[in-house]
Amino acid sequence: MTCEEVRAELVECWGSTEQLTTAATEHLAICENCRYEARILRGTSVMLHSLPSESAPEGFTAGVLQQIAREQAQRGWTARLGQWFVPANQTSWTRAAAVGAAIALAVAGGSMWAGRGSLPEGTQQYAGSASGTIAVSTPAATEAELDELLRRHQALQMTQPLADDPGVNLVVYTTK
Amino acid sequence: MAKARQLSQQDIEELVERARRGDGAAFGQLVEEYKDKIYNYVSRMLNDPYEAEDVTQEAFLRAYRSLPRFRGASSFHTWLYRIASNLAIDVVRKRKRQEPTYSLDEPMESDDGEYEREIPDDTGSPEDRSTTRETRVAVRRAIMELPEKLRDVMILYELQGETYEDIAEILNVPLGTVKSRLFNARNRLKESLEQLVAAGELEVES
Repeated sequence: MTCEEVRAELVECWGSTEQLTTAATEHLAICENCRYEARILRGTSVMLHSLPSESAPEGFTAGVLQQIAREQAQRGWTARLGQWFVPANQTSWTRAAAVGAAIALAVAGGSMWAGRGSLPEGTQQYAGSASGTIAVSTPAATEAELDELLRRHQALQMTQPLADDPGVNLVVYTTK
Repeated sequence: MAKARQLSQQDIEELVERARRGDGAAFGQLVEEYKDKIYNYVSRMLNDPYEAEDVTQEAFLRAYRSLPRFRGASSFHTWLYRIASNLAIDVVRKRKRQEPTYSLDEPMESDDGEYEREIPDDTGSPEDRSTTRETRVAVRRAIMELPEKLRDVMILYELQGETYEDIAEILNVPLGTVKSRLFNARNRLKESLEQLVAAGELEVES
């Protein structure tokens, strides 16, 4: 058996001589270089497996579930905005496009509120992220307030698509 | 939250099915079950606790979003690992583009200034801790110096205890590829740590 063949076996078993074939064991008995190789491999294995396991930080699960709840809330509100914009008998694609438009308008409104330094009365920050703030109204706006809000949104012209403007605030409103 | 017991495969399948139907509590139990395993894996891949937390969280969020498409062709745990692996590899590649000379010895930067990489060790005497800490830093460095494909297999097999078959499924590569990558990874790790072992930093039973 050659040194190369023995060393391949040694790598397979991390240098443990107990798991070697008889031929490799006999080779080790007469080859100092391969014995050295076995010792280095065993040491490497011990070092590697002495690394302690690391645990997820405290509150990790709660953080994941909170994030899911935020995303679900966001999806729920945008779907409702879509319903306000599109009659129920229109196609789902039209509805999807309208939902996008509703979000864009809400974004424009959010920027406007942000420009005044605070969110509207009765509205609280729901979630914050590096790319903006998501807010929902609590208590919810009335239908009339919402209509007025949407009229103001419609009077605004979006000059940039949402994806190109990560700094905007997204404010979503719901009715009482 | 302390884990009451290890969930059985049947428990997992039931939780996955409930989570697919929108049961948040069931998904919460799945997160509890796998969070440490996935975090440990990602942490070893990235060697950065903050990035590891972000990537682990994103892995679970993606898993939740993709649950309706999970058909059970693979086990939930290999599927989850695959998501985490893809995310971790993305970060590794992004780092390569941004920081070609990533070093474990360099302090990290944050909004609050620079800070040392955190490698906790509270065992043994101060002298022991110092030696152990140096050894661990050396091992972590050696792992981080492995190409990501070898590192992935090395961590999954040696530190996470996954089988060849599961690793092949997680990484979507043939079984032979897993074995050859592991062989190469062990060889490279041995070369990196040879001087430390040979210098007698660690007592090795012969």
